[in-house]
Amino acid sequence: MSNYQLGLIINSCISVITVTGVFAVTGLAGMFSLGQAGYLAISSYVTFILARTFGLPILVTAFIGVGLSALSAYVISVPTLKLRKDYFALITMGFGQMVTAMIVLLEKYTNGSIGYSKIPKVKSLFIIVIVITVLVVFCIRNLKYSRFGRMCIALKSDEIAAKSFGIDVYKLKLRMYVLASAIAGGAGILYGLKNRVILPDSFGWNLSAEMQIFLFFGGTNSITGAVLSGFFLKLMPELFRTVKLFGQSLQEYRTIIYCVLILLVINFRPNGMMGEHELSFAWVRSVFAKKKEHMKKGTSR
Amino acid sequence: MIFQLLINGISLGAVYALIAVGFAVVFSVLKFSNFAHGGMISACAYMGFFFQRAYVPAPPIFVTILVTGVFGMFLALFLDLVAYRNIRKHKSPGIYYFLSSLTISIIIEQVLNIRFSKNPYAYPNIFESTFFMVGDLRVSTMDTMIMAVSLLILVALVLLIHKTKMGLAIRAVAINADTSRLMGINSGVVVVMIFLIAGFLAGVSGVMLGAKYSVYPDLGQTMMVKGFIASVIGGLGSLGGAIVAAIMLGVLEMFWTYFFGAFSAPVMLFVIMLLFLIIRPQGISGKFAKEKV
Repeated sequence: MSNYQLGLIINSCISVITVTGVFAVTGLAGMFSLGQAGYLAISSYVTFILARTFGLPILVTAFIGVGLSALSAYVISVPTLKLRKDYFALITMGFGQMVTAMIVLLEKYTNGSIGYSKIPKVKSLFIIVIVITVLVVFCIRNLKYSRFGRMCIALKSDEIAAKSFGIDVYKLKLRMYVLASAIAGGAGILYGLKNRVILPDSFGWNLSAEMQIFLFFGGTNSITGAVLSGFFLKLMPELFRTVKLFGQSLQEYRTIIYCVLILLVINFRPNGMMGEHELSFAWVRSVFAKKKEHMKKGTSR
Repeated sequence: MIFQLLINGISLGAVYALIAVGFAVVFSVLKFSNFAHGGMISACAYMGFFFQRAYVPAPPIFVTILVTGVFGMFLALFLDLVAYRNIRKHKSPGIYYFLSSLTISIIIEQVLNIRFSKNPYAYPNIFESTFFMVGDLRVSTMDTMIMAVSLLILVALVLLIHKTKMGLAIRAVAINADTSRLMGINSGVVVVMIFLIAGFLAGVSGVMLGAKYSVYPDLGQTMMVKGFIASVIGGLGSLGGAIVAAIMLGVLEMFWTYFFGAFSAPVMLFVIMLLFLIIRPQGISGKFAKEKV
């Protein structure tokens, strides 16, 4: 594959990671976060600036970056999670705006709106990204089927009922949010490594909204849907790059197309494309089981 | 100087109040935060700009405000049809309202972006002189006009909500939609009314923001967050609280910008909102919309 194609796949994988993180918050715990891009920004800026100024390897500073974005998620969510869901969406949105404003303000370190480009090159990024993507998706899938995930689904469908069954709603939400922010932080570092330059604008409000759109398109109850839509919706505008509409490349219309898609989904298929369905290998097992039964019957005759 | 900042702050706050009330009205009845408001403000600002430019000599600003207000009403009704009607019909969870309004907001911004590019457009001069003297104070004409129009509209709105039959219906539906339907209130009409009010407010604030600053696609988005913060500080869904909070916020922002510069203002607003939510989550008005079973 050419470098360009590899780059596209890396981009899509990063999108899958972020959407999986959002799935943990919105799909499992039912919180609507609009500031995930802020965590991408925090961790990638912290990682690369520390790596540059102190000469530390990226692997070390990446942990600091991810840890810091998880910490800021904790600080934000402690006062707000006790309130209505609306406040939470709002605060996260304000947080995202605050992060980009801070990046511009701390121009001395971040190079402001020109962008920070002193990012080291990493060999075999493609394999690293693929491995991390698979790992994250696998972990979140397991989380969904664990006791923890079932608690989250109970919380999402009815918070008060979940509370009355003895689930510590507040703690659960806090944990899910911090987890998702850590995942977003990881995606931010990969994003920086791929593009080799990070701008405050690239972590704006649109990115956070894009993640939510991907998630809802795939269906909030299905991690398969989230992964598939995260991958293909990110890839789609690149595939139609040469198509022209009203004299402009279709890429200009990318966001509009996403939005129209999501409006159609909301109006006509409220559960998303995948609904509750999950891709699983249970049917393979059942087919084999039937065959075995058949063979047993055959031999017994 | 302090007096001048105060006047500028109040005028800025009055526009924030228009936005915050636009939110609060929709929130109080439908119980969701209408992110599409920002997009509507942008669209109306462009509409007002082109209306103002289309005629020579330019029509008086009040005509533009009125026309744009009506345009905003139609826009709001159209958005209701496209984005919210089906959600209401399916009785989907509130998170879908969020997403839908968010999407609408982004669509409007992007369409404006592609059609008119990101370049700001400046309204033509509306007044002959940009300021007038009161004693030895220089008072900006634009700010005074904005303050007067906003306060007028806010007063009219409060009267509409508290003195008319329609206002009573709106307040009843805000408390409990199902019960008020049992009492013979046509809640469908109330919802349409709500969107008309929100659209009108978006139109008016769009024109005034466009005239004060300039017209660009994310105009509404930036202003919306501030209106939003004001409506949170005031207590979501409360009109009086939102107005008071918005004016306070406008004055505070003016002073902050004067003493510390404009770049750190968003950080300051965010910290204030966070502090407010920790100390007094029910907002100034003290009416806390709790989620019930």
